[in-house]
Amino acid sequence: MTAYGKPLPRITPDNRPFWDAARCHRLALQRCADCARFRYPPAPVCPACLSDRAEWAAVSGQGAVSTFVVFHQRYFPSFAADIPYNVVQVELDEGPRLTANLIDVPNAEISIGMRVEVIFDDVTSEISLPRFRRAAT
Amino acid sequence: MTTIRDRTAIVGVGASRFSKAPTDTPMRLAAQAFKSALADGGVDRNEVDGLVINIGWPLGVDYDRFAEALGLRIRFADQSWTHGRFVGPTLQHAAMAVATGLARCVACVCGVSFIQERGLLGGPGDFEGTREEGGTHEENPVYGLTAPAAGAALAVQRYFALYGATSAELGAVPIAFRKHAALNPAAIMRSPLTLEDHQSSRFVVEPLHLFDCCLVSDGAAVVLVTTADRARDTAKKPVFIAGMQGMRAGPDEFLFAVPGLGIGQQREFRYTPTEEQLSVYRMARVTQKDVDALYTYDAFSPLVWFVLERFGFCGLGEAAAWTQKGRIELGGELPMNTSGGLLSEAHVSGWNSIVEIVRQLRGECGERQVRGARVMQWATAWGDSTIFHS
Repeated sequence: MTAYGKPLPRITPDNRPFWDAARCHRLALQRCADCARFRYPPAPVCPACLSDRAEWAAVSGQGAVSTFVVFHQRYFPSFAADIPYNVVQVELDEGPRLTANLIDVPNAEISIGMRVEVIFDDVTSEISLPRFRRAAT
Repeated sequence: MTTIRDRTAIVGVGASRFSKAPTDTPMRLAAQAFKSALADGGVDRNEVDGLVINIGWPLGVDYDRFAEALGLRIRFADQSWTHGRFVGPTLQHAAMAVATGLARCVACVCGVSFIQERGLLGGPGDFEGTREEGGTHEENPVYGLTAPAAGAALAVQRYFALYGATSAELGAVPIAFRKHAALNPAAIMRSPLTLEDHQSSRFVVEPLHLFDCCLVSDGAAVVLVTTADRARDTAKKPVFIAGMQGMRAGPDEFLFAVPGLGIGQQREFRYTPTEEQLSVYRMARVTQKDVDALYTYDAFSPLVWFVLERFGFCGLGEAAAWTQKGRIELGGELPMNTSGGLLSEAHVSGWNSIVEIVRQLRGECGERQVRGARVMQWATAWGDSTIFHS
């Protein structure tokens, strides 16, 4: 297996549970233990009620494309072979939006509102990246 | 409540040559612009006791080096995060420092080389994109989302879908500003731009075409802010700062979108501007109808639509149609970015547009002069604004 040459997430104490769950192919988000609101990105307090208490809760991995772009210009050499590649934002059914790539869908077929579901791409032995594919109907 | 209305004024402006090829260091460009601003306003170097900067290292000149290199004795220095968006707040800090007596004459200095540091603009050197939990334009290099252009592209893609707007309609923005640049000898891009040119240009980050993206250029501009009393004694007609409002942030905001569009974690709702959202007009005692020309940070053409909607020049979802048929061109209902802006004059981080406002309000703009101009507004998609009058 050739070394993975693309940027990897910076793991911090705040986001480690997200990436630990992803490694096990589970999508988990912080949920406020007081007002039950999901939040992303990880943060030490709830932006709604400022509670310090939160738990990491599994989410469905289901959502809809809220917006997307297609990269034609090469910014990072490590993405050169992928051009033109898409980046989507997915509004999860639980509320927060994740940025990722949509796989197995031609760029011309991506549309806002398209239903998608998460999959996990084991890019290194440590890191599995959530990506999305068209939802099974 | 005390107000800053008309307590400060811009008395001198200066600029270096703008270019798409590296010519000089940012320091040399900034020094030229500074000396030309002093000469323009008839201001002595020793009067300058304040210095504010928004684009420092590694793209531009830092305050400490500039003060040292130009022999300035500074008692109020301020420098923001190296981002163009801080042009308005930086100018506002200058006015606030003057109005509160912390300084008597503040130089706003921008000397910048985007060319020599091109790798910072969305490339692996763009360390901001690696910020924990994402960059300020939604950068996420893990997924290849790596440049400021992408933030504007994410926003306008959703805007297109919500309101049925098109890339061809967006083309009206760079085409208008290119027409203005054609009347500006200092502008870098002066040849006509057609809709066909716009539509056939390559995509950078789709749906943004090449001509939806600002120039990558080198240049410098300097603006001198002093008290209204001192301004009345200077060489040229003073341009007064009539009103200001600050940059917005929080759950309703994404930097490159109108409030409520739903980009990143931005809350989704139907935005209608409240008086609180538009307090700049109350402070300046004018309304949108009094604004003879509007200037904005046009790093990407969608930002022009978003500022028009945010400030209530048109309704939500209406900017695409509103900007057609020459409405934002010289001679139109609301000329915008009459120097050509970042899209066609140069990317001096917006300061070239502040210089243009001052020259317009003095009546110095020749072929591109807005006739009878009295009130002009700087405003951005992220909500800061400053209103000027002659």
